[in-house]
Amino acid sequence: MDKLELFFIKRYLKTPKRNLFRFSFVFMVLGIVLSVGILSAGLNLFQGYESNLKSLLLDSFAHIGIQSSYGDLISEQDSATIINQLSRKAEIISAIPSLEYPLLAQKGDKIRAINLRAYDFSLEFPYQKYINEGAIKLQSGEVIVGHYLAEELGLGLGDDIELNYPRFDRITPLGLQTAQNRYKIAALYRSGYYESDRSLVISTLDDARALMLLPQGYSKIELRLKDADKAGFFAREYSEDLGQNFIALPWNLYAESLLRLVAMEKWLIFIVFSFLVLIAGINVISAVSTIIIDKRSEIAVLKTLGASPRTIKRLFALRVGVVAILSVLIGQVFGVLLSWFVEKQSFYRLKGDVYFIDTLGAKITFPNLLIVFLVASFLIFLCVLFPLRQIQKMQIIEVIRHKH
Amino acid sequence: MILSAKHLKKTYIDSDQKIEVLTDACLDVASGDMICITGKSGSGKSTMLHIMGLLDAPDSGELIIGGNKIQAQSPKAPMIRNRDLGFVFQFHYLVEDLTATENVALPLMIAGQSETKARARAQELLCILGLSERLRRYPNQLSGGEQQRVSLARALANSPKLVLADEPTGNLDPTHSKEVWDLILSLNKGEFKQTFVIVTHDVEAAQAADQIFELVNGILIPA
Repeated sequence: MDKLELFFIKRYLKTPKRNLFRFSFVFMVLGIVLSVGILSAGLNLFQGYESNLKSLLLDSFAHIGIQSSYGDLISEQDSATIINQLSRKAEIISAIPSLEYPLLAQKGDKIRAINLRAYDFSLEFPYQKYINEGAIKLQSGEVIVGHYLAEELGLGLGDDIELNYPRFDRITPLGLQTAQNRYKIAALYRSGYYESDRSLVISTLDDARALMLLPQGYSKIELRLKDADKAGFFAREYSEDLGQNFIALPWNLYAESLLRLVAMEKWLIFIVFSFLVLIAGINVISAVSTIIIDKRSEIAVLKTLGASPRTIKRLFALRVGVVAILSVLIGQVFGVLLSWFVEKQSFYRLKGDVYFIDTLGAKITFPNLLIVFLVASFLIFLCVLFPLRQIQKMQIIEVIRHKH
Repeated sequence: MILSAKHLKKTYIDSDQKIEVLTDACLDVASGDMICITGKSGSGKSTMLHIMGLLDAPDSGELIIGGNKIQAQSPKAPMIRNRDLGFVFQFHYLVEDLTATENVALPLMIAGQSETKARARAQELLCILGLSERLRRYPNQLSGGEQQRVSLARALANSPKLVLADEPTGNLDPTHSKEVWDLILSLNKGEFKQTFVIVTHDVEAAQAADQIFELVNGILIPA
């Protein structure tokens, strides 16, 4: 930046009202603020959706599940050995044995496929924070039911629910005999992750074993890590450590494709919304063209006084650039406000059966703010440069002759 | 010799019609000269001045400034316009968003001087030209005569070898017009010894110059 450019930029900033707040800039500023606002809000909301989904996924499932390599139950003795072995590892927050089986839940003629998980309630219960109604500690004969599952079956707190476990190896002369029992709903589970909320039933270990005629033991040991993103790495390590009888499966195995899809959608939305900024760039081209026509005499006089076309172009680029950059920043603030409004509004909720989660949340991250700023500034910069070519072509003598 | 224009020829084409404004115009300008070029409207006076100021290019002929042949399209032309030439036009051409001081400081900053030095020099010139009370005024807050005086101060900012003035009083009333002419004369005759080439249709005012030329049929004839 040479001395003249430095002088002008100081001048623009010192007296913005005279130099920057021009009528020809109004639509340019509005266009940039709105498009950048929408771009920012879109990215913030998608980032929020991605983060919420990931957080719910990680909270709803074990980060690593240790299972028998042959599909049998893990004996209590093996379970104790494994937990003891893993509890020394600093990266593990908790190691909880559990049973998990697919069952059927029934109320009258309504039947739903469910996922039964059973825990020892004398130990730590991993889903405590999602129990929004009822008791946290279960007694024998009680279950915790997912909020949407209860809603679909028309059940509430204190009602009975019937769980059926059809076993094809228990055939009687009267046909297939299913194991079934009634349980009292002691609590409702609501995580916000729709799939869990419409299919999860939690019981005590003893009730689960009694229903399914299972011996002592567990179907898996649920591990929760300090850093769930490293689950794949640690799962490989634990599989090697535990030998061939056990296998450690990370959460990524089941859910990473979903998160990748969401991340891809986020960037697709970003690209689509970036076109809005490009459309706003048309206003920028128009504003720059207008100011060049408006300031033809100024350009001619600067050329006459010996300023190079390059310097003059940079002066105009700076003038419009300062306004455009301020507009991008205001647009980003608008985007934050828009995201906040969408998050706080109550008249629209996500359909959980379509979008996996039922709440809209925005997440503002510095990298995203930077990306929006850089992309929007770059697109607008291109739109500023395009009309500035007129300055190069402008003949001083034509301007001076026409002024006479 | 500061500037030498030799056999300048310039033709315009207007609606398929060839208009020869300069056919064989020659002019030598020495240091300290005060030259007036007069002529009828459309005779090519301004074109002659624009060519001398490297704002326009002749079809043929030579222009020598400071001993060197130069053309308007030359990459050196902007630097010569900034360093060696000053311009005053009929319309003041001041930058509306800058104060009088900042307008005068422009050629100095284009030449690479710091803002502080440029402002100091600009204020000095404006004070010499009697505008000490108008330093912070914007062009639209000045009278026509004051605007032209600021324009003159800007032309003098880099102490050019030659100031080219195109109808400098053309837009002014008689009182302001006299004011500007007196100022030009004092700059030429006083301690500045500033060299001027002035294009004017005001034959009476031109009488104050050392040399007067009339542009007739594209040729400069001593009047």
